[in-house]
Amino acid sequence: MLERLFLLLATLFILHAAFSTYDHLSHLKSIGKPEGALPYDIILEAVIGLAMGILGASLNAAPLKEVTWSSEMKTRSIDEMDARLGFANYINRGRKFLS
Amino acid sequence: MLASLPSALQTLANYRIHNTRASKEVVDKGKVLLDAQAASSLGDDAWAFLEQLTLAAIDVANYEVADECLRQLAAQFPGSPRVDVLSGIRMEATQPPEIALKFYDELLETDSSNAAIYKRRISVLIRIGKIEQAVTELSDYLDTFYTDVEGWVELAELYSSCNQYTSATRALSHALLLAPQNPFYVLQFAETAYTADDIPLAIKMFMLALDIIDRHASEESIPTGVSIRAWYGVKLCCRALSERSCSSASDTLLPKNLPLLDELSTERVLTAYSAAGKDNATGRELVLSWMGPSDRSGGRLHFVR
Repeated sequence: MLERLFLLLATLFILHAAFSTYDHLSHLKSIGKPEGALPYDIILEAVIGLAMGILGASLNAAPLKEVTWSSEMKTRSIDEMDARLGFANYINRGRKFLS
Repeated sequence: MLASLPSALQTLANYRIHNTRASKEVVDKGKVLLDAQAASSLGDDAWAFLEQLTLAAIDVANYEVADECLRQLAAQFPGSPRVDVLSGIRMEATQPPEIALKFYDELLETDSSNAAIYKRRISVLIRIGKIEQAVTELSDYLDTFYTDVEGWVELAELYSSCNQYTSATRALSHALLLAPQNPFYVLQFAETAYTADDIPLAIKMFMLALDIIDRHASEESIPTGVSIRAWYGVKLCCRALSERSCSSASDTLLPKNLPLLDELSTERVLTAYSAAGKDNATGRELVLSWMGPSDRSGGRLHFVR
């Protein structure tokens, strides 16, 4: 829940910073000083958006899966390793009582 | 009933992945799916499901279901070698074995690269008791198809059934070459070596199996599943080595610190049986008495509750 909130806020901050930048640059162009510096609070807003986005994305990630070979082998059993299905015998005494 | 279709499909897919042979259950669930014509909704999995259902139906002698599945598969894949194998197995169920062997021979004459047919031939020979011929044919098959791990393990089982354990270890060594990361084959090798009375080799392979299984185990971890079996193996070997002098047919050196190994394996097995929350696992008393009083003494063994 918290993760989604962080991601949402981060998206909003970034979009707002982008819009403010566009707005500020068009203001500078209109007063004839197109080389003016960007106000520091827009930059701060963008950086805060980045940090919250990283935090939200990390918290929102799926649970980690095991990668080691030994953890994979722990999920197998001797019966399935011994199965040898190519040689399996399907003709057994069971057919006397099951059919 | 319709709501359980996806769960039935899920169970059957699980059986396919884990090579489980629960034939009665597969037929019960599969018959429902077959009647509901659900096979067409599965896409590519439908054919694997039909193959699984065919084999399970032959296993429980339900020949109508088997014939129906075979008919659908043959209609979809005419002249396929895999369907030929299934027809052969169906023939094995009702015809005498010689007819089935002749059928397989004819198939091999037309296409001698169909590995599965060789395996069916060998399976029929084992079933009718011609072990020597089966071993010869299996060795010839493995000369051509060397990378068939299943074949090497089957050869080892055949040798073990005739009490030729050193030949079985030789077959298993090929399986180990082909599947080096698989602790189950290492464990089988270790147990076969123990039976062949090559205790130093057995203890070395038990420890190799444990290395693969429990590579990332910490001191507090509790052994589960196959690792308990491997620790039992180490304990048995230590006991054999301390009771008599064992020579190794394969000239394997003994591990150093055998008493420490003995203690470690005792501790590991008893931890598995004494884990908290499992209060008094079945057989715990038996295991404790089998371990003997001398192994349980000593302040360092802290696990026994």
